[in-house]
Amino acid sequence: MTFGSIEGLAPFEAVCAEPFALPRRAAAGGRRVAGHMCTYTPEELLHAAGMLPVRLLGWTDTTHRADGLIQTYACSLVRAVLDLGLSGQLDFIDTMVFSHTCDTIQNLADIWRLNLPGMEVITLSTPVDVGSPHAVRFYRSELARARGQLEKRVGPISDGAIFEAIDLYATHRAEMRRLYAIRREHPGLIGASAVQTVALASFVMPKDEHLALLRRLVGELSRGRSKGPASSVPRVFVAGAACQEPELLGVIEEAECVVVGDDLCTGERGFSIERVDAAAHADACADVADPLESIARMYLVRRPCAAKHLSGHNYAKWLLKTSRDAGADGVVLLFTKFCDPWAFEYPGLRAEFDAAGVPLLLLEVEQHMPPTAQFETRVAAFAEIVGAARTDAARKERQG
Amino acid sequence: MSGDRVPIETTNKMMRLMMEYYLGAKAAEGTSQKIAWVTSGAPVELLYAAGIIPIYPENHAALCGAQKMAVELCEAAEERGFSRDVCSYARTDFGSIYTGKSPVQGLPKPDLLVCCNNICGTVTKWYQNLHRHFGVPLLYIDTPFVHDSATPAMLEYVRAQMEDTLRALEAFTGKTITTEKLHETFQLAAEATRLWGETLDLLAHKPSPMTSFDTFVHIAPIVVMRGTDKCVDYYQALLAEMKQRVEKGIAAVPGEEFRLGWDNLPVWFKMAGLSKRFSGHKACLVAATYASAWAIPIDATAPDLLAECARAYLTVYINCGLEERMRTLERMIEKYSLDGVVMHSDRSCRAYSLGQYELGRVLREKLNVPVLILEADMNDSRVYAEEQVNARIDAFMEMLAARRRL
Repeated sequence: MTFGSIEGLAPFEAVCAEPFALPRRAAAGGRRVAGHMCTYTPEELLHAAGMLPVRLLGWTDTTHRADGLIQTYACSLVRAVLDLGLSGQLDFIDTMVFSHTCDTIQNLADIWRLNLPGMEVITLSTPVDVGSPHAVRFYRSELARARGQLEKRVGPISDGAIFEAIDLYATHRAEMRRLYAIRREHPGLIGASAVQTVALASFVMPKDEHLALLRRLVGELSRGRSKGPASSVPRVFVAGAACQEPELLGVIEEAECVVVGDDLCTGERGFSIERVDAAAHADACADVADPLESIARMYLVRRPCAAKHLSGHNYAKWLLKTSRDAGADGVVLLFTKFCDPWAFEYPGLRAEFDAAGVPLLLLEVEQHMPPTAQFETRVAAFAEIVGAARTDAARKERQG
Repeated sequence: MSGDRVPIETTNKMMRLMMEYYLGAKAAEGTSQKIAWVTSGAPVELLYAAGIIPIYPENHAALCGAQKMAVELCEAAEERGFSRDVCSYARTDFGSIYTGKSPVQGLPKPDLLVCCNNICGTVTKWYQNLHRHFGVPLLYIDTPFVHDSATPAMLEYVRAQMEDTLRALEAFTGKTITTEKLHETFQLAAEATRLWGETLDLLAHKPSPMTSFDTFVHIAPIVVMRGTDKCVDYYQALLAEMKQRVEKGIAAVPGEEFRLGWDNLPVWFKMAGLSKRFSGHKACLVAATYASAWAIPIDATAPDLLAECARAYLTVYINCGLEERMRTLERMIEKYSLDGVVMHSDRSCRAYSLGQYELGRVLREKLNVPVLILEADMNDSRVYAEEQVNARIDAFMEMLAARRRL
């Protein structure tokens, strides 16, 4: 698939070409930068503290410094980010926030504070059981603890400032969802690697600046007249943890497929956090005047990550339905080697997708590495399978 | 004093007890007696108080590993899509579910699943998979990771879930759990835990009456039968024998010269080999973070038993940050007069292993305690490089001997 040129993409591409340049400038200009590694990190609170929240990915090609401190059977995201820290490339970071993600990141948090004592470290024991009736109350207390720690560093953070941050982030995420809707509904207009570049830029940019550029891009795309891809072009859905390299999605497009949706934490899952309608929670004694409770609620009801527990949630069934609703003919699981939460999803996914006759491809990736030749070969083979599945389905439709 | 090793007599009693436990549970399969599969860090007292038989897939996996059946079972799980990089206990157990094979012919099917994430995040995913496979209810207890100290909110969060679990168990069995029954069960658990702790304390004696490899074998009842009188009886017998061995000066490693600590899970398929390798150097493993994880005192007389239960299960070794683990290791080194620490970097256990390099570095640099890191796995012998491990043990022991001569 090739896509027409889009003027509004250039600024995002420029940011991604040098992801640390912008936060480094912000830090030099006196703004505190808060680093983190998980979309469960309540950026609203950091923004309200006057900080620039930056989501770190493994933007490096070496892990040799980290290898002395953490085993190579830790995932590449963790090894790469730790290496960045040890190399001094993250010296613009004032505070690191570790929201509990998984066994690997929880240990990383401690390794980090013992080895990088120059940075303030905030740990948040974010609930794993996001559906527990006690989770909101507990998570709120963790947020209050984090707020206290931040206030010691930056002075008082007003409720008003947190509410403003909640508004800004809600608006920004809604705009990102608009972009994802365009990708889904008009697959020829913008490619997944381009969308991924926009998302990645948002991890290191002030959200108001990103929002302004994003609105311009969405406007440009909405005015565009897409012919759309031929109906024979296979539609693919991508799931997994993070996707640091837009190129990985580019490979899928080069194999003559279009990506119509994703469940990635660097993609639609990460931007699924929505403002919680207070009215809907009136029965659950929601305190709408409390910004921390608002944050706690919206983070707990978002699309769950594989590292979370949500009673009654069957991810395999959810993914099958969601990918079908997006019009996908098959699903690619981008699997980061040594990522336990996602590894444990695969047997269930395989059984579910096999039973439904929907193609599913597991592709192992190292977060900080560009696609390998083997990756490209496997994607190309998969493209043929989903292409055949699409032709088959179209034939049946004509006959039926 | 040198000579032959004197076997531990209570071992036979333990084998019988465990066999009875597995056979008893197997016989209960399909009857009105409820069976729950639980994680090793779950509050088993609540299950015993509810009259439910708890079954431990982790203990079963270790049994498969010790009997050298794990690789075959792991392969069966891998064929169904389990990655070779995930927990080899989980792979072993799923392999056993799919094939029906194990030293005890597989586990009896569960009526209920109880998962507590105080030992790792892996169990969350493991039990979600069990839940999908068996279609029986899953009770989940979320114990937030304690990076610094347990906050009141954490304790309250876990206590509320303990209460929910208790109510859910009552609803499940249709029987009320009386306060007396609960106290009685916790009392039995506290007593067994105390006896186990006292037994481990005896390993501080020179020479040590048993090795950590022995404790890995004798740990089974405290893990699976905590809260029963059989468990108390058993540890009374074990403690009595160990006291006797101390009095008679019986050394687990005759001619004990070096005393070592162990961190992380055992390497189940190499227990005998590793034990021999170390004893060949007159080295006795006398302390292990794994064995002492089940010796944390619990106060059965606490006015709010569920709060005490929450505290105990929230603050287990593996649910605490590296600085707390470091303090535990420091105390262990002091108490057991350790000459060095062996860290098993367990390839498929990220919760326990990641951070060991840091702990090792601090032990070496701050406490001047030699550390040997062995890259291995608790159950998957395919990743075990025997010659390399042996060579590293030999070199480490030679280094300890050289230090002693200085």
